[in-house]
Parts: sequence; C-alpha cells; structure tokens
Amino acid sequence: MQLDLRKGSRARILAILTLVIMAVFIVRLFYLQVIRHDYYVGQANSEQLKQLVIPAKRGEIYAMDDGSPVPLVLNQAVYTVFADPKIVDEPGKMADLIRRVAGGNARSNIDDLLAKKDSRYQILATKVTRRQAELMKKESLKGLGFQEESQRVYPEGKLAAQILGFVNTEGKGQYGLEDAMNAQLTGKDGLLQSVTDVSNVPLTIGNKNINIPPENGENVVMTVDRNVQAYTEKALAKGLKDSGATNGSALVMDPQTGKVLAMANLPTYNPGEYNKVQNAAAFNNETISAPYEPGSDIKTITMTTGVDKGVVAPGSTYNNTDYITVDDATITNATKGQTGNITLQHALNYSLNTGFVTVAERLGDGSHINWQARTTMYDYFHNKLRLGQLTGIELANEQPGTIISPNDAQGNAVRYSNMAFGQGLDVTMLQVGAAFSAVINGGTYHTPSIVAGSMDDEGEVFTPAGAKPSYAGVVKASTSDTMRTMIHDARSAFYAGKDKPGYYIGGKTGTSQTIENGHYVDNQTVGTYLGFGGNANTNQGPKYVIMVQVSGKNMNLQGGRDAMPIFTDVSNWLLSYMKLQPKG
Amino acid sequence: MRVVDQLKERAGNAAQVVVRRHRPDYQIILYMGLLMLLGLIIMYAIGPQRANVLNNAYGTDYYTSMYFFVKQTVSLLLALAAFVALAVTPYEWIKKNAGKILVVGLAACALLFITGNVLHSGVAQCSLGACRWFELGPLGSLQPAELLKFGMLAFTAGFLGMRVQQGLVNDLHRTLVPLGVLVLVAIFFVIVIQKDMGTGISLIAIIASMMMVGGMSKKVGLGLLGAAFLLGILMIIIAPHRIERVVTFFGGDTTSGSDITDSNYHITHAKIAIGSGGILGVGIGNSVQATGYLPEAINDSVFAIMGETFGFVGLTVILALFTALLLRLLKITDHLTNMWMKLAVAGVFGWLAAHVILNVAAMIGVFPLTGITLPLLSFGGTSMIFIAGALGLAFQLSRYTIHGSVNKEKEYENLGSRRGVGRPRYAGSRGSSRM
Repeated sequence: MQLDLRKGSRARILAILTLVIMAVFIVRLFYLQVIRHDYYVGQANSEQLKQLVIPAKRGEIYAMDDGSPVPLVLNQAVYTVFADPKIVDEPGKMADLIRRVAGGNARSNIDDLLAKKDSRYQILATKVTRRQAELMKKESLKGLGFQEESQRVYPEGKLAAQILGFVNTEGKGQYGLEDAMNAQLTGKDGLLQSVTDVSNVPLTIGNKNINIPPENGENVVMTVDRNVQAYTEKALAKGLKDSGATNGSALVMDPQTGKVLAMANLPTYNPGEYNKVQNAAAFNNETISAPYEPGSDIKTITMTTGVDKGVVAPGSTYNNTDYITVDDATITNATKGQTGNITLQHALNYSLNTGFVTVAERLGDGSHINWQARTTMYDYFHNKLRLGQLTGIELANEQPGTIISPNDAQGNAVRYSNMAFGQGLDVTMLQVGAAFSAVINGGTYHTPSIVAGSMDDEGEVFTPAGAKPSYAGVVKASTSDTMRTMIHDARSAFYAGKDKPGYYIGGKTGTSQTIENGHYVDNQTVGTYLGFGGNANTNQGPKYVIMVQVSGKNMNLQGGRDAMPIFTDVSNWLLSYMKLQPKG
Repeated sequence: MRVVDQLKERAGNAAQVVVRRHRPDYQIILYMGLLMLLGLIIMYAIGPQRANVLNNAYGTDYYTSMYFFVKQTVSLLLALAAFVALAVTPYEWIKKNAGKILVVGLAACALLFITGNVLHSGVAQCSLGACRWFELGPLGSLQPAELLKFGMLAFTAGFLGMRVQQGLVNDLHRTLVPLGVLVLVAIFFVIVIQKDMGTGISLIAIIASMMMVGGMSKKVGLGLLGAAFLLGILMIIIAPHRIERVVTFFGGDTTSGSDITDSNYHITHAKIAIGSGGILGVGIGNSVQATGYLPEAINDSVFAIMGETFGFVGLTVILALFTALLLRLLKITDHLTNMWMKLAVAGVFGWLAAHVILNVAAMIGVFPLTGITLPLLSFGGTSMIFIAGALGLAFQLSRYTIHGSVNKEKEYENLGSRRGVGRPRYAGSRGSSRM
C-alpha cells in the first residue's frame, strides 16, 4: 500500500504508532494462540468438558441350591444422611427424626453436629435403608440430604463367609472369591463426557463427546451348595462344641468332578460387618491357606503308591515291632501292641507308622528308602496327585505348601520315611481332598473348582464355566478299587455302626503333631478325618469326599475321637440330601 | 522548520487554492466491507448459540437461531445507508451545522439523563444505574453518546481548524481552555453519568488525534497527556468497577478460586477463547466459549470469539484489515489541504483507532477492560451506524486530496516555489474557499 505520507508529518507519526501497536498485538496473539495454545485448550476443556462416571454394578455371587443358582451376595442401595448445619432451621426436630428412624445407624452426637453452624456438611447417619430414607425425606426438613451408595448384602448372613470374602469401603474385594475374582466382579465403570454450555447443557459441538456405557460386573455362580455349606457349618460347630476344640475346618467336594460343595471354617464372621472383626484370622479360609502336616490321612496316599507300583497289596504282611529304624532315625507307632506278622490292612486300620515306612522301603530295594523309592513317592505325591502345589482354585490367598523333592538335600530317606505317614510335608486340605478324590474315583485327578459359571445381568440365564483340566489315569483303576475297599475296611473296623446301612463309606483318621518353633510338641495335636461316601464300591460310587480338621491351642485333639463324628454327621446327612438309594 | 509553522504556511496557502474534486479512495469501502462481512459471518455462526443461552437464561423461546444474524444484517444495511448518506451529504452542510449537531448530541445526553436517572422512564435503557440508550421500540435503541461523538468531531474540526489557521492552536485561552471545557462537558455526560469509560476514551481520542494533526506543540501535548492521565485516575477512583478492572489487569490469569470477579472472569475467558483457537481456529459454528462462558460474546468480546473460531491466522487478517483502514485514513488526512477536512478525517481515525485498540488490547489482556465495541464487527446498531457514517464522511473527503507526491514539497518549500508542485491537481480559483 503506497501511503506517501509526508516525512515528519503528524499523520506519519500516528501511522508509525498504529503499526507499532498492531505489531505488539500480533506478537501477543502469537503468544496466546500458538505458544500458549495447549494451556488455553486445557483451560477451556476444564470448564467445557463435563465428565460423569457411571458406576458399574458389582457382580452378585450365587451358590447352588440343589442344582440351581441362588444369590448369596446382593447389592443394595443404602443412604448416607447428611445435613448442612448452616441452613438447618429445626435442629431439634431433625435430631429426633433421625434417632427415631435410623436407630443404631444414627451418629450418637447429632445435636453437637447440628450445632456446628459454620460447617456445611455433617454426616448424621450411615447405611440407612431406602425405606428409612423415604421416611426421613417425607418430613422435608431444610438442610437434610441423602447420598446413595451401593452396599453388599448377605441374605444368608455368615454363610460361607471365608469363601466369599468381603468388599471394603473402596469397593475392592478382600479375601475369598471377592478378592480372587475382583476384576470380573467389578466390571468397568462407564464414562459420559460431554462439551456443555455454561449451564451444563450438553452441546453437539466438536469431537470430545464420549459415551462409554458401564460394563457391569459378572454375576458369579459358585459350585458351593448352600444347603451342604449350611449343614457342614452347623455340623462343624456342633463337633467343635463336643470336642472343645476352638478351631475347625471342613471341606466337602465332589470326587467325580473336583467341584467344591462346601468349605466351612470356625471361628467365622459376618461379611456384612467385617469391620467389627477383632482377629483377622477369621477371614482366612484354612482349607486353602493354611498348609499343615496332614498326618495319618496321607497313609492312604502312600498305600496307593505302593499298590499302583505293584509292590504291596492290602494283604501283604510285614513284621511289626512297633518301631523301625531308618538311617539314624527310629520311628515308633502311636498305637502299640499290634506286633507280629500283620497285614498292611491291619496297619491301616490301627494307623501304624511302621507299616507305611515298610511300603516306602518296598518301593525301593525292600529295606531302604532309596533314590528309586523317593522319586517314586515324589512322583505320586507331587506330580500325579499334586500335593504341595497350588490348585488354582478361584479364591484368594491359596498357599502351595511344600513337598521336598529327593533332589533336595533335605529329601533324604528319613524325610521320606516321615512323609510315608504324613509328617515332613505341608499340604492344604483342598490338595488332600483333590488327591484323595483321584485315589477313589478310578484314578482321575480333577482340578478343584469353585466357580460353576455365571448368571446374566437379570439373574435368569446360567452359563456354565468351561471345565478345568482333568488328568485321567494318575493311578490305575484297579488301584482305585483296592484303595476304596481298603479305606472302607479301615473305617468299618472301628466305626461300622455309625453309617446308615446300605451305603459304601470309607475313611481314615489322622492325628498329627504340630511343630512349634521347629520342634514337634506333644501337648498339641490336630485331629483330622478324610473319607468318602456313596452307594456303591465302583469308580462312580463315591459321591462326596469330606475332610475335617479340628485344632486348638495346647489341645490334644484326635482324628477318631474329635474329627470323625463331624464327618459321620455330614456324611449321613449328605446321603439323604443327595437322595442316594441304599444298596445291598 | 517546525510542524506548526509548516502548517501555518500551508493553511495560508490553501486559502489561495481549491482542490478539484476527484475519484474517492475506494479502498475504504473495500476494507470496511470485508470487515462487515466477517462480522456477519461470525453472527451467523454464533447467533444460534447466543439465542440458546438467552432463551435458557430467560426461559423463553423469544430468540430464534437467526435473530442475531437478521438483526446484524439490518444494522449493516442501516450502517451502509449512513455511510452513503455522509458520503453524499455535502461536507459544507455538515461543517456549517456542526454546532447544531453538537448541541443535539449534548441535548440528547441531557434528555437521557433526565428520562433515565431522574424520571426513571422506560424510554431510557439503564443497567446498574448507568443509562446509555434510548429505547425506541420497533426502531431499536439509540446511543446518544455516539451522536455526541460525531457532533464533537464535526464541531472541533471547525473550531480547531479556525485556530490552526489563526496560528493559535497552542494558545491557552483561545484554544485549549474552550476546547477543554467542551471536552469536560461531553466527558461528564459520557463517563460520569453514563458510566461509559470506553466511549469517553474514544471521545478523547477523537479530539487528541485532531489536536495532534492540527499541530499541537510537544509542550501542550505532554501537558494534555498528563491531564488525561490525572483525569483517568480520577475516573478510576470514583467508579469502583474500574478499580476492579485495573486490579484484575495487574493480577493476571485467574480461572478458579475465590479471586474470581466479573472482570477477571471476562478477561480470562476472552483469553481462553483466543488461546484455544490455535493457529487456524476451531471453525465456524464450533465456538464453545460463545455458549455462555464468555460474557458479551457477540458485542464487546466478538474479537475473542473470532479468535476461537478463526485462530491466529484469522485474527491477523482482521487486524491487518483494520490497520489498512486506519492507514488509509491517515493518508487521506495527510493529503488534505483544507484544515476542516484534514481535522475531520483525523478525528475519524482517532475514533476508529480508539475502538479497535482498546477493544483488542482488553481482549488479549494487555490493557484493562473498558467496555468498548469492536467497530464493524460487534453486534449492535448505533456504534456500527455512526462508525460507518464517519467512514462515509472520510470517503467523501478523500475526493479532495492532493497528489501523493506532495511530500516532495519539502525539498522545495524553502525555495518558496511550492505552489507549482501540485499545480496540475490544484484549481486556480483563488480565495473561493476561505475557511
């Protein structure tokens, strides 16, 4: 643009001034729009973009009830009642109302809280039900507010508490299924993001609008049968009362599938009031998280190994002197006097340690638990029957336990002689139950499971979970036949009259010493009982495996006296619950 | 040679020549038209959002999505009419009636004060005790301060032009005091009664530009600058909302917390709108700040919305158009020989420059908010009509410029042969247009 302004004219000065100011503006605009662009976009987004998290519904947990799923854990809307003391005009009336309606859920010092006139938010009551909240809302008091939250409710109270676990205040599952399957149960929160005008009316401008619907958590159906669980818990409680034991656990599973039917633990707690629990030990599911020395129950596994290898049979004899020497160690029997040339069936009936050390020796060269004997035992115990390994059950805090390999310096003949009667190894009840199931079901190891499948959002359509791996032929079918008979005979030798007639029940007692500070102590023994039940002595005959364990601080609890009655109680009840027809 | 002396000589010279009427400066129409077009586009783009915000706010459906576009179109047509009117109305008539126009402007302001502040009549549109508009029913509203500005422009051009010719432009008693009194009266109405700092500053800018071009001495200039500064401080002190704006300006960005006030909210959101536009802008119709975040989005803040919509490139183009227009005005004033014309165009320059610079400077956060429209772009009839009218006058006067090579004059001026230089464009009717 040719301006031809006169040199030194006033218009020229004004033109220069104008150009300078405009140049300053352009520089400033460059700074705002190019250099600081991202900052201002952030500022714009922070006020224009509104985000709303749409909470996903946590999945509910179902148990089986005679084959069909019923809810054990539900969600419920509860309300936190709060007030804005600054605008409350009738504090006395409000306090009375809340005390009257909310009762125990009201804070004790409502009057003081409402007197804090300079505060804007005071919680007056928590976990108020919808009905109670409606009652309070009806009074339409000024300054009273309600905030909805979702809370777990347990229609069956304490039932299966350690299996379920609980949900903490942050909404995260703790212990049990709630913890192990937290991701599936939680689902994914949805997100609603929208560009809005100044009055929060969503706009259709731009590409920042997002609508992600929530994915509700999966409704999990457990294999646990609520009736079996309830009865097992009841029987365990009664058994503990009768024996005076303070702690007890019971496991019921289906030996034909590996499905867990019940896991009971005492002492227990109410997951709805988990915050009132004094001793967190109550949260533990001892059947999976407390490896212990199983004791004589393991003699069935040792015998299985021997029978399957063809080195012994129930009728095989040995000379019992009530003690046996392995290297520098001498092993004695707990029950003495059954000396002489006796059968292994006899040894099992009386739970004689010498008999099963003998089996271990015969797995070797007949008189020593040599390398071959130890690797064979390790192969059966650890590799085939999976003792000392995580089962992968869908519950939190499962522990693997320990079986020492013969490759280990610790895995010597003395160690393996002890393992033959259940000492020197750490296993969980679930591992033993699963191994025992394989022993009596014809030789198939079923990986234990507790998740049967899922329910749809409406809780109507059940989708079964895929089967977990099974390993057929871990022991021969003939071995399984032999062992069933042997274990049945072992139970019949002492407790024949306890079972309902016409069924085929077997079991083995265990009384294990406990280790305190690395040494076996005499004043504290754990009583266990491991058995099966059904109506036929066939591979398909056993319909349940039950394992019971009772213990107490400084208490000598015995398998036969203290744990066995619980087994018998549950077993007899299960026979009728499962509607098994008695046979000859 | 001092500028004043130059001017004195030239004024005397002009008395002896008459410039032949020639082709006007069509570039004024080009730049004005482009700016008006941009204003119309932005109204079309954000009008629906603005209507939506107002309907939500008042719970009505009074404003249709085309309301602001249609109204702006009507305003533009009226503005073009004003432009044409002042382009064809003989400047001599305006010059002759300048005094009357000024009196009408002052009277209108006085009437507004009486109807609004005294009688509280519905004819005056007031908010927060400041009455700035006459409500004329279906005719819309009229801001008498704009008329006052035009009257001041026309009258001062005559008064100051006379003084320049008399060589008394820097004379205290005969020039500065009377003009000062006049300005103070006008300012009293605009700034004190109508509480309209923006219009007041633009009024002062009009007079200051004329003084500048008219040959005000450095001493007087500095003196007036000092007086204006003191006056500004006084004005700020007597009106709390101005203190707030100044505090805001020095306080910097605030988008949250208890520091939020109306004016820093306004400036912060203007900067958010401009900054979030980036290089190329969010595009027409995608402005979110116009949906109620940025106050006065279609009026005083339209520059910020344009920044959001058209980005750095768009704003640079807009500033370039304004600069071109302003420089054309300066060229015209520089090349006019008739002192009334020269000063009138200088006043138009001051008017336009004050609006553009104050508005943009506030929006980009380099000067406190004054509440002034962006000429030709902001929604709002009166401001646009009067600016267009003023440009129409400048357009008419651009017919009387002497040839651009007049700046060679300096080489000859000491030779006393200046008259010959522009000879082909000079009419010889000596003495016929004495001022």
